[in-house]
Amino acid sequence: MAARAQKLTALVAVVLAFFLLDAPLAQSRDTGSAPRRIVSLVPAITEMLFAIGAGPQVVAVSSYDEFPPEVKALPKVGALLDPDTERILALRPDLIVVYGSQSELEKQLERAHLRTFSYRHGGITTTLDTIREVGLATGHRRESDDLVSSLKARLDAVRDRVKGRPRPRVLLVFERLAGTLREIYASGGVGFLHEMLEIAGGTNVFADVGRESVQPSVETLLARAPDVILEVRAAGLIEKSGSDERDAWAALSSIPAVKNRRVHLVRGDYLVVPGPRLAMATEAFAHALHPEAFK
Amino acid sequence: MITADSAETDGTPLPRRTTSSSIRGRLAATILGFGTVALATCVLAPLVGTTPISLTRALDRSIPFDQNVDAQIFFVARLPRVLAGALVGSALASAGVVLQAMLRNPLATPFTLGVSAGASLGAMLVIVLGGALTLGPLSTVPMASLAGAAAATAVVYWLATRQGHAMSTSVLLLAGVTLNSFLSAIIMFVQYIADFAQVYRAARWIMGDLDIGGYDTLIASLPLVLAAYVLFAWLPASLNLLSVGKDAAAARGVDVPRAQRLAFFSASLATSAAVSLAGPIGFVGIVVPHLVRLLVGVDHRIVLPASALFGAAFLVACDLLARTILAPIEIPVGVVTAMIGGPFFLWLLVRKS
Amino acid sequence: MFLIADRVTYTYNRRTGVEAVKALREVSVSVDRGSFTGLIGPNGCGKTTLLKLLAGVLSPDSGTVSLDGRPLASMSRRHVARRLAVVPQETHPAFDYSVLEMALMGRHPHLGAFQLEGPADIVIAHESLTATGTSHLAERSYMSLSGGEKQRVVIASALTQAPEVLLLDEPTASLDLGYQLEVGLLLRRLNRERSATMVMATHDLNLAASLCDTLVLMRNGRVLASGNTSEVLTSAMVRQLYDVEADVRVHELAGHLTVVPLGRLS
Repeated sequence: MAARAQKLTALVAVVLAFFLLDAPLAQSRDTGSAPRRIVSLVPAITEMLFAIGAGPQVVAVSSYDEFPPEVKALPKVGALLDPDTERILALRPDLIVVYGSQSELEKQLERAHLRTFSYRHGGITTTLDTIREVGLATGHRRESDDLVSSLKARLDAVRDRVKGRPRPRVLLVFERLAGTLREIYASGGVGFLHEMLEIAGGTNVFADVGRESVQPSVETLLARAPDVILEVRAAGLIEKSGSDERDAWAALSSIPAVKNRRVHLVRGDYLVVPGPRLAMATEAFAHALHPEAFK
Repeated sequence: MITADSAETDGTPLPRRTTSSSIRGRLAATILGFGTVALATCVLAPLVGTTPISLTRALDRSIPFDQNVDAQIFFVARLPRVLAGALVGSALASAGVVLQAMLRNPLATPFTLGVSAGASLGAMLVIVLGGALTLGPLSTVPMASLAGAAAATAVVYWLATRQGHAMSTSVLLLAGVTLNSFLSAIIMFVQYIADFAQVYRAARWIMGDLDIGGYDTLIASLPLVLAAYVLFAWLPASLNLLSVGKDAAAARGVDVPRAQRLAFFSASLATSAAVSLAGPIGFVGIVVPHLVRLLVGVDHRIVLPASALFGAAFLVACDLLARTILAPIEIPVGVVTAMIGGPFFLWLLVRKS
Repeated sequence: MFLIADRVTYTYNRRTGVEAVKALREVSVSVDRGSFTGLIGPNGCGKTTLLKLLAGVLSPDSGTVSLDGRPLASMSRRHVARRLAVVPQETHPAFDYSVLEMALMGRHPHLGAFQLEGPADIVIAHESLTATGTSHLAERSYMSLSGGEKQRVVIASALTQAPEVLLLDEPTASLDLGYQLEVGLLLRRLNRERSATMVMATHDLNLAASLCDTLVLMRNGRVLASGNTSEVLTSAMVRQLYDVEADVRVHELAGHLTVVPLGRLS
């Protein structure tokens, strides 16, 4: 009887151990092999994947992916609002990158025993952390660490360049109804655009607003009176060319930025994606705000 | 012989109504009264806002305009906004009165016949396809929404007049409801294929925005609204008669098809102009006529001008609330009108029962 | 011969062709000045349509309606309304007008395009209300009145049009016996005291017999017979009109013809 009880205990112990060991594998539930077929619904993470050398492992991207050029040849599987689950499953992926808010999709994929990576939107620190997590999840840890270090170094370099220079009050506009002053969306005091601006040597005129985006009225713009207006646009939107756009601000002539003709328009999708090119974006901001520092 | 009937039907005395005083006097008093309210609101509203300004400094000509922040806030930010609010509020309230009379339904709004849905679709198409689809002058949101409104108006008119010269009000209502549903479905589809930013912009447009930041769009809308008002001027007496019944109106000398066309097109014109300027701001076209009727009775010769004036004051006041009550955050004006309109109707309902 | 319809035809929904109903076929009717003419017939015989054509509210597809020799089509709507007034079967205004406001609406054809009613118009309105026994209701809300009161107010508002002819569509259809009597007496009084020519469409044969001196009997959009009430209202005619066997005779106490239905013919 004692021997039998012992065997039973051992059996229970083994079973328990198996379950206990299996539990805490947070984002990677398998035994740690790098994914070979990655589907990414998040353009920022697609860029990260390619930047850390996981490009060849990417088999499909979102409808909004544009960079790097290699993604153009890849199949598209929808995006935030319309992910094509069937198509995703048909590609037999072993890692799917989804938005944090796509909880339904995540559940669906987990039921299919597929690994997911959930994207958290945030500022620069979050972005750099995400690069590291992506490196960990895809078996490119070293490359991701290197990337993060180089990005940090570039950001520090920008900080140094503009150190000591007077910091203008900047209105950072990322959306506006073309040709008018309506539907203006500006960066608030939170988020990666705000942080890049601050590193680039500018003070966000809406730094006190605890939200990522602000829709200011004309009165608010006049009251805040920024020294510089920095208009940021992703490339690919058809608008009138640069100088015509700046004319829209002429009506607010009491704003120092308008009076002193410091309205800048910077174009490029790298400006609005919180990914590996954020150092490039920060440098672009710094060039616009402090051109003399780069002579 | 014929004797006097018992007055009360359930024992409670019924309200007295003041109609014996001359209508000329009442009309003059109404225009004076409501006109003063409208004027006062439009004069005071630009003085109030999240940023304190000094009127004397704003009007001080000796300071160059580009150095006078107070003047810029007054003349560039607030005044166009107040004027737009007055124009849109007046247009929507008047259109509401006219449609309610023509459709013989106090619950009709300027948006009942699908005009605003057409305008919304036009705006949405430009917001979403704007880059891919350049249609010359129709590439801007105001122009496209105007075109959409005009198209919706034409469709409803065609549907309503197929059976003869006089418009059947039931066909009109049905056409409006159908068009609203159909266009909403298309709008939903367009939003679905849009990207996130576009969807947000579209949703924001629908909440209404009076912050026009300049006089251009205002001046562009002005001829349309004035034309609508000229047409409105011919309507009030006919509206009284039409609201009793089509045949009754015809028997009293109203050219019913002509009056209906006049009412339909003037109301559609005013609504189109208002919506293309500031988006579809709801509740103005139904709250104001009801409030006015509570104050001055139901004679359209008084209700129409009173609503035009009170509508202006009402929307300017709502916009004032919208931009100051949660400062520095601005609430879209359509949200404020809805938050006032909803409880108002609840109160009306409770009062009636 | 005052108000004449000459071979008028009317079809509803003629333009669309869907559910087109030929309501009147070559109908001719002649109404004498000062007479009280009844349009009698079963439901759907076209009497309401004929009434509307006589009032000028509808235009005939063919044939003409003329007043005192002049075709209605040659007169403006306003002009016609100054001479012909209609009392519809039911009046449901969409808004809460007062009795006086309802009465004043009858002044519309007499006012210019932008003219507001003056003291004279208000006097006329009050007179009409008095004539129908409703002047004490002038400040009351129309919608709050009883059926009989409402109908009298509508008659009053027709009177303010100062018409030469009053056309009534089933004026007592929704009233109880007491109000029927009231309105009937009122109409007779108006006809006799004011020499108002009356044309009344009704399916109440006894009402028609008590008020009308002339009857026009209609069925399926055609006139079966017309003429003096005493000559035209017979049990043979009632049989032809309604497929009903009825007793038609002068009632001693009432002093006019009465119709008592006895049974339906198959």
